[in-house]
Amino acid sequence: MLKSLANFTDNPWGDNNSGNGSSGGKSTKGSASNNVLEIEKLLNKYKKNFSGGKGGQTPNSPKSIFSIILIVIALYFSTGFFTIQPEEEGVVLLFGKFSRVTAPGLHYHLPTPFEKLIKVKVTQINSIEIGYRNLGGDRISSRNEESIMLTGDENIVDINFEVQWQIKNAYNFLFKIRDYSAGATVKSAAESVMREVIGKSKIAYVLSDGRANIELEAKTSLQKILDSYESGIEIARLQLLKADPPIEVIDAFRDVQTAKADKEKVINQAEAYRNDILPRARGEAQQLIEEALGYKESVVADATGKADRFEEVYSEYRKAREVTKKRIFLQTMEELLQSSNVTIIDGSLSKTGMVPYLPLTNTQNKK
Amino acid sequence: MKKLLLIITVALVTIIVPQSLYILDQTEQSVVLRFGEAVDFEDKPGLKYKLPFVDDVIFFDNRILDLNADPKEVISSDQKRLIVDAFAKYKIIDPLKFVQTVKSERMARSKLNSILESSIRQVLGEEQLNVVLQEGKREAVMSKIQSNVNTEALSFGIEVVDVRIMRADLPAKNSQAIFYRMQSEREKEAREFRAEGSEEAQKITAKAERDKLITVANAKRDADIIKGQADAKASNIFAKAYGKDIDFYEFYKSMESYKNSIANNNTNLYLSPNSEFFKYFGNLNQDNR
Repeated sequence: MLKSLANFTDNPWGDNNSGNGSSGGKSTKGSASNNVLEIEKLLNKYKKNFSGGKGGQTPNSPKSIFSIILIVIALYFSTGFFTIQPEEEGVVLLFGKFSRVTAPGLHYHLPTPFEKLIKVKVTQINSIEIGYRNLGGDRISSRNEESIMLTGDENIVDINFEVQWQIKNAYNFLFKIRDYSAGATVKSAAESVMREVIGKSKIAYVLSDGRANIELEAKTSLQKILDSYESGIEIARLQLLKADPPIEVIDAFRDVQTAKADKEKVINQAEAYRNDILPRARGEAQQLIEEALGYKESVVADATGKADRFEEVYSEYRKAREVTKKRIFLQTMEELLQSSNVTIIDGSLSKTGMVPYLPLTNTQNKK
Repeated sequence: MKKLLLIITVALVTIIVPQSLYILDQTEQSVVLRFGEAVDFEDKPGLKYKLPFVDDVIFFDNRILDLNADPKEVISSDQKRLIVDAFAKYKIIDPLKFVQTVKSERMARSKLNSILESSIRQVLGEEQLNVVLQEGKREAVMSKIQSNVNTEALSFGIEVVDVRIMRADLPAKNSQAIFYRMQSEREKEAREFRAEGSEEAQKITAKAERDKLITVANAKRDADIIKGQADAKASNIFAKAYGKDIDFYEFYKSMESYKNSIANNNTNLYLSPNSEFFKYFGNLNQDNR
């Protein structure tokens, strides 16, 4: 502040000259003093010529003085030429009063006491970092006092953003507003605007889907403020580089993301289980049905077969009842006796007192 | 004599011209002091005239100037402490009054700074914290501060063009409380997600198991029905066939059963020769049994 005051009293241009490369006043002064040196050299040369050539004649003859004056005047006026680079605009003041703006190229202004030139770099994009400072390379140092903000739902977020600005109106930029350093107004206004925007947003909005809207809203309000100052500054770009929870609670926020993933995982596992057991159950069900159907087929076929067989035999039986019956009986007995171990015991033997002895184990093992 | 006149003229020009003319820059306005008293001011840039030796000129900026208030702790009406940091944009609109009251920009800034500070305290002290933060209200708070500051600033020739709150943060101690709250809120959220996950998973698993049981049970039922139908049908077929002659069926079935149950089994049969089969065993024509 003191520095700017000092500048204010010494130099009405404040820090503009050094800060924004509008070094017109200084460079004209410099070239003027160079010219003075050259003039002195020329004068010396002239004196030598006179003293050498014409001997006793004094150098103060009216003609020679007149030509010296002419040369001096010519040199003096020649200091007014200047070039404006393509990225610049020149602003010319006549006795301190705004006179004209010049486009790039070679131009002329009246020499120093009358006219003064200020060069302004209008196409240059200036960048302001808020919440962090880029230390070159990938190294970034954070500025917590700038980056930590309060949200509308009284949470805290950590915001880094970058503002790019350029001069859109050199006249306004030079004459309507004084900056104690280049872009200071942009910086404080940008901070104020960002805090206002974040301050009315909910933290979830800031951290997730609100970023583009926040950028746009901040840029629009920032431009509106700068226009209200007639600052001649245009905001080219406002970009949110970081919108994170503060470092103190970032783990908790990350855990929420993990929890979301966990939820999905557990549900997927359950679905996998379901997808595993349900088809198996359907298979089992189908197997049971098929088995039953098979049983049905076989039982019916069996019954039909047996019934048919019976009926065949029966129809034969009806033709000759007694014979068939006897034949079947005897045939059956024959088959039976062939495959069995037969022991015939005559009941009448017991009358004689003979008891048949049957070695059970022996008969069992006989094969 | 002629030479003396010339010297006097040159001397007058070189002394009087700088004394009576001055350049007023585009960015400046000037106040003319006559014997130390402000008598006139000039706000149009260009080459200006003043009385030589008598008048003195001081310059002031005519652009919008910047004032940054240092961060201050303020208490809102709901007793919450806030660290507030603001800046003001102002303009010297009445240089005469300015010179008479505050004299220099330096003085003006220090006065303006204290006015701004007390105004911020006053206005924010009447508001609640969330009002300061809420949409639209911040704007209103700022313009209220601005008009408050302006009423005083106008008395020394300054107009405040804009006041903006930059930071309105909680002090470090309160921040810590917020961090704890944020943390516990997130923990709550995370727990909820995990619980929801297991809820959902259990629902899915239980439903799947239920579906499985139902599917299998239904299939068993259907299978039993089919088997029952099969048995019924078989029984019907048997009944139809065997019903034609029950006596013969009895005989036939007995024969079959004997064969099935006794044959090929190495069965030991202990038979009496009196059985029907051995009718002719021992003696032919044994009719007298």
